[in-house]
Order: sequence, then structure tokens, then C-alpha cells
Amino acid sequence: MTIDHPAHGGRVPTPDEVAAVAEKLHGTREHLRSRPAASLAASLGAAGRRFLDPQDPVRAEALERLPESSGLSSAVSRVVLDQMAADWTEERLRRLLATELGDPCPLDTLVERGGDRSLAIGPALCVQIAAGGVPGVGVTALVRSLLVKGPTLLKPGRDDALLPALYARALSEVDPDLAESLAVVYWPGESTGHLDAALARAEVVVAYGSNATVAAVRARAPVTARFVAYHHRVSVGLVGRDALTDANLAPLARDIAWAASAYDQRGCVSPRVVYVEEGGACSPAELADHLARAMEDVEARWPTGALDTGDASKLQQARGTAELMAASAGGRVHHGGSSPWTVWWAPDDVTPIPTAGRFVVVRPVADASALAAELGALGPHLQTVGFAGLAGRLDAVAKTLGEAGASRIAPFRAVPFPPPWWHHDGRGPLIDLVRWVDLERPEPARAEELTPPASAARLSR
Amino acid sequence: MRAYISLVEPDVRFEALAADLEQAFDGSFARGPARNLDDRRLARWSEPEFTRRALAAFTLQFDRIPAYRGLCERRGFTPETVTRWEDVPAVPATAFKHLDLTVEPAKRPEAVFRTSGTTHGRRTRGRHLIARLSLYRRSLLPTFGARVIHGERMPFISLVPPWRERIDSSLSFMVSAAASTFATETLWLVDGRGRLDADALRSSLRAAEKAAVPVLVLGTSLALVRAVEILEGRRSVRLPVGSRIMDTGGFKGMEREITRDELHARLEAATGLIPSMMVGEYGMTELLSQLYEPVLEEGLAASGTYVPAPWLRVRALDPLTLADVPEGTTGLLAFFDLANAGSICHVLTEDLGTVSDGRVKLQGRAPGAEPRGCSIAMDELMAAAEEAASGRTPQ
Repeated sequence: MTIDHPAHGGRVPTPDEVAAVAEKLHGTREHLRSRPAASLAASLGAAGRRFLDPQDPVRAEALERLPESSGLSSAVSRVVLDQMAADWTEERLRRLLATELGDPCPLDTLVERGGDRSLAIGPALCVQIAAGGVPGVGVTALVRSLLVKGPTLLKPGRDDALLPALYARALSEVDPDLAESLAVVYWPGESTGHLDAALARAEVVVAYGSNATVAAVRARAPVTARFVAYHHRVSVGLVGRDALTDANLAPLARDIAWAASAYDQRGCVSPRVVYVEEGGACSPAELADHLARAMEDVEARWPTGALDTGDASKLQQARGTAELMAASAGGRVHHGGSSPWTVWWAPDDVTPIPTAGRFVVVRPVADASALAAELGALGPHLQTVGFAGLAGRLDAVAKTLGEAGASRIAPFRAVPFPPPWWHHDGRGPLIDLVRWVDLERPEPARAEELTPPASAARLSR
Repeated sequence: MRAYISLVEPDVRFEALAADLEQAFDGSFARGPARNLDDRRLARWSEPEFTRRALAAFTLQFDRIPAYRGLCERRGFTPETVTRWEDVPAVPATAFKHLDLTVEPAKRPEAVFRTSGTTHGRRTRGRHLIARLSLYRRSLLPTFGARVIHGERMPFISLVPPWRERIDSSLSFMVSAAASTFATETLWLVDGRGRLDADALRSSLRAAEKAAVPVLVLGTSLALVRAVEILEGRRSVRLPVGSRIMDTGGFKGMEREITRDELHARLEAATGLIPSMMVGEYGMTELLSQLYEPVLEEGLAASGTYVPAPWLRVRALDPLTLADVPEGTTGLLAFFDLANAGSICHVLTEDLGTVSDGRVKLQGRAPGAEPRGCSIAMDELMAAAEEAASGRTPQ
């Protein structure tokens, strides 16, 4: 049940058609709940694995069409597809289920909990409004809700319309029965008529995207629906002085460059500012020099996708302004000319400017323990903090960063691709989608056996 | 915020250059009621004449503005090496939001013009420090006189607030300066807070119709849309022959965008003026010279084409390489404005257009404001964070 994105030769459905699709999905809920979670993981994983199989036409089509549909270069598209699809396999999905919900699976059977028993029920209809940016996020989203037995209506993001459509097709070939519970439908973002039609029967609504987009969806979600928000996020890096040795600078810079470049910096996990501790054997400025070289190398192997005019213009404004600010307040701007990477070493506090391309700001920090305070107001939007060189201080620093708002502290190399069971923006990716039913002991104490608690007795005097 | 040390010795070179420029600007000024405008006066300055002054201004700005000097040195373009004005490093318009770019940093500026706010709450408004206001006045009058007034004096009906009420608006200064030079009388229908006096608008246009004296109505496109909405639904006015409208600016920030053709058609219906009497002006706070549509001289065929002041050069550049694009090809617009001798002459804008034979066709602002994906740039994040803290919903 896929209505292709207009960019892929599809058409925009009417709100009535969207309502009919939602209704039809809703009607599959009981059948979907009758299937064991393991069988869903098997089918979803089998469809996902097709994106990794070099012989499979689904993978071939994804690789061929991703650069145009996502705006990423071919080389980056391939990496993103490989890394994303690796988490759509049966083994990873079973592990996600077990990690999140435990074993035996409470979606299938009542499980012990505090002496009573509980059952997890998937949403009767999960509507997911996905964002542009990173290809694969839409598939990860729909896999999550199908895995918890929720019929799923996904509206793909602008730059991520291809993979959900391909996945829906792959799934319909692998398991047509399960595919009946999935629809990928696109409509123009500003159409509240379509949105209302989609949301009317939703039990869970998941919205990805800008704060404005998420707020707009939230405002129209039914009051009875649970709302899961993945709003705008920003990620940063933190380099401890232990990592700042001559021998380590080059490999460290490579890891940071890769973390910042993996999705052309479009991911919410992509670090935009890297804070570097002062007082190491090498200075933050030296790391910035190395980072510039590493960005150049990454660009050569995994080039940035073509910038549109607006982004190119934004990049020119940002680079020129940064150069002036560096000339005025100290610092240095490295960039690749017509290669759209930029590294701005900014020793003094600077007003952030709108950027484009792969644009990393390197800032000094006196001590890692001071970073949480520095990030202050960013808290509600903070996500990943990439790290290196914190050695014995890691746990303590992680705690302060977590308290400041960060939800993921990861080595730079791991930053771009979190595992499927990560606490996405601080929450369980499956837990947020299910509803619990508690079944208490069948033989409670009789009323006459109850004695009021001491406090209640006092109050009754 | 900042304290200015006054009574500081001004830069002698700046004073000399500015005096030379002002005299040269005056040479293009057709004084008095010259119905047949001498077009040669407004001809582009010759390349040697322009380049000589451009390089003098560059040397001055290089010497006097440390940030600019740093940028030029990093890029390897200094007064010693540059021989063409095109090679003078351009400063992005965004930089005016973050730095005070003036050749008289120790002197109290004669005016501080601010750019309008943008959709991102916190993003700083740009400011242009004006070391010598007469340079602006004497740059704007000849072109305004030629392209809008065309040698005649007439009453002004202004939908732009007067400068005395908006001292940080370069547009208000421009209209006030033009009014004091070319207007027989001026009605200010919009106050410093942007409120348009609807009754005064209706009555003043009716009075003009009755008096049969041509008038000039000036306003931003936004204000003209408001005016048209006020006039529509009543008996339409027929403004006297020779009346004209000057409109400036786009429709940024409007809920519903309307095209310029649509605005002109509605203005024609509401005032009886034909579109060839509607002159478009293109200017920005960061530039002290303007461009105009030469429709009064050349008719409607020139609509959409903007002619720069003789001392203003414009190029269209490849957005990624910043190399000149071929004539007629769309690019980012960069301006070299000699009237900016007191700040930065060479400015790279975010506007798109084509340049042919020194004239510009505008294509609006480069798109792409919306970030891709769930990531957010730091600057937008700061705005979002502050909005969240203050309890307001982000825009």
C-alpha cells in the first residue's frame, strides 16, 4: 500500500484517500497482533537484508536512485545504506526486541512484573511523520512500529522518500500479509487536511523534524494519541587533553572528520562544534589544523552531495563572515574552496552563524568538566556528544553532560551510526510505542482482611 | 552598548576620497526642472575612472578595518597586488550582523542603519555605520532624481516612515532626503511604528485627483499591498497623468506572497496608473547606492531590469566558486559601491539575479533557509533555545 512520492512518478492522494488508507491499516490490527513478534522480526529482517544483498534488485535500485533522491553523493549514499540496513536484519531486530521489551516477549505473552503480570499491546495505528535529511531514518521508523505489532502509516521526509517506498515493496514480496499493515504515503507538508485524515485513528503519533514541524503535528494529534517527538537536535564533540598527543592527532582528526561528514552533517548525531581541552601536549589549534586536512581527505573519498544555490550562498556568507571574525578576534578558517568543507578554529566566543556544507567549529574549553555549563541553554536540543581522550574522567563527565541534556555520549568513530536499541533522544525506541496491560493477582485479599495503613488511621480520627 | 570616542581626528584620506566622490556624484545630478534628462550624466563611469576610485577606497578600507585586512591578507589580495576592482575581496552581507565595518572606528558615526529583523528571533540585525552621511545623500539624489522624479518636482505621498521617526532606517533617510530636495510637499502616511493611516491615504489620493496635480507615491512592496487592500472595494481613484509609484523591497515575511505583476495590476485598478509609471527600486542597508527600473525612460519593456547608479558595479557569481558567470546566467549578486567608501565597497549578497550589459534582473533571495533533516545549525538552535526558555513557540 504505497503511494509513490511525486518525485518518483507518484501523485499526491486526496485527504479522503489518506483517511481510507488509515482506516484500512487500522483494520489489520487484530490480525497483526495475532502474529508472534519473532515472525515479524524475521519478515522485517528478511526485507531489510535485501538492501545488503549485492544480488538483490532492491539494493541495486536503492544504490542507483539514492544520490538523486537524497542529495548525498554516491559514495556517501552507499555507506549510509550499508550502515542503516545492517540494523534492519533479523538478528539486530530480535536483539532490539529483547533489549527493549525483554525475553519472553511481552507482545506475545504475559510476563512477570513485580509479582503481577503484564502484556504489551502495539498501537492500533501508528502514524509516523518523518523528516528529510538522512536516508534510512524513515525505514528505521516504520520497522520499529511494525515490530511492536502496530499497523503503520509513514509519511516520508523530503530527502528520504525512496528507501521507505522500496522497503514497502520488498516487504510485500517477502511477506504480503505483513505488508498489508504498512502504508507509505506522501502529501505536501502544509496540508492540514491530509494530516488530519492520517491522524484521526492514530493511537501513537511519531513526528520527526524541525521544531515547527513537530509543533504543528502535535497540535493536530488526537488528544487520546500518545505523541512521540523527535524535534530538532544538535550534537557536539569533546576532546580531552589525553588525546592531544602528536601521534594521536591525525587518527583523532580522521574520526572527528568522519563523524561530521557521514551524512553531510545533516544527521541530528552530526557534531557541529568540537570542544577541545586546553593544556594537552598539543593545542586545540593544532587539532583544528589536522581536522582541516582530515576533512579534505574525507571529502576526496566521500564527497559532499551537490549544494543547491541556497546552501552554496549560505556557505559563502558563513565562510566570509567567519574569516572576518577570525581576522578580528583571532582564530582561523580552513576551507576547501569549491569543496564545501570548512573548519573554523574560534578561540574566542563567537555568535553562531548559519552554515552549509560540512562546517565544523572548533572551540577551546578549559576543562571537560566545564563543558556542561558552556552548553547551558542548548540542553533541550542537545543529543550526542562525541568524545575522545577522557580516560578515567569519562563516567563523571558523561554524567554532567547527561544532566545538561545530552542523551548519548559516544566515541567519535561510533557517532554517525547508533545501534538500533539506542535510547533515541533519551527514550526507548520501542517502549514509547506500546501500551501496557497489567494483570494483577487473581485472588486479592478480602475486604474484611484489610487493615487501614497507620497514616490513614490517624487521619480518620 | 558601545561608547564612541568623539572629537577624534578623522582620517584625512577618507575625507579627501569622500569629497572627491561627492563632487563626482554631483556631476550626475540634473538640477532644476529638466524635463529632458541628460542621460549622459547618468552613464556608467568609465572603467579607468571607476577603477581608480575603487582601488583608492580598497586601500583605505584595507588600512583602516583590521578584520577586512585580515581577510584580504589570508586570501592573498592586498592593495599591492590588486589592479582590478573585481579582485578586491567581497564581504558577505551577513558580516554586517557581526562586525562593525567602518573606516572611522574611533569616530562617532553620523548614522547607524539597521537591517530589518529576520524570521529567526535572535539572529542579530545587521548594522551599517555611516561615517559620513553626505556621501549617502549625494549618492542617492542623482539617481532618484533621474529615475523616479525625472526632472519634475511634485508632492510626495510616503508610505515609508519619515527619518525623524526611524533614524535607524536607511530607506527612511533616502525618502526624507529625496523629499526635501524634490517634493513640493510631503504627506507621511506611515509612522515610525509602521502604522498606515488609512483615512489619510484615501483622502490624500482623492485630493490629488481633484487638484489634478501629479503625485509620487512611495512605499515598500509590503506597504503598497496594504494600501491596495485599503483602496480596494471603494470607488477607485484616478490619479492625475504624470503621477507615479516607487516601490521597493520584496514580500519577505508576508503570509501570502503575491507577485509583482499582481501587485501592479491591483495598483492600476485602484489608482488608474499604468504599470510603466511604477518604478521599482532595489537597495539594501549595506549599500548606499541604489538601482532602479528605468521604466519612465524606456517604458514597460524595462520592467524587471534594474540599472545601477553610475558608481555602482554589479556582478553575478557562481555560488560555489564565486567566479563570474557568463552574461545572462543566474548567479549570486555582488556589488561594488563607491558610495560605501566609509565602510566596505564590495559586498556579496544572498540575492540571485542575472547581469547583462551592467543591468540586473532580480530573481529573489537564494532559497534553502530550511535545514535538511533533524539536525539544526547552532544559530537556529540558539534562537530555538531562547524561544523555548521564554515559552514562545518557535516560528
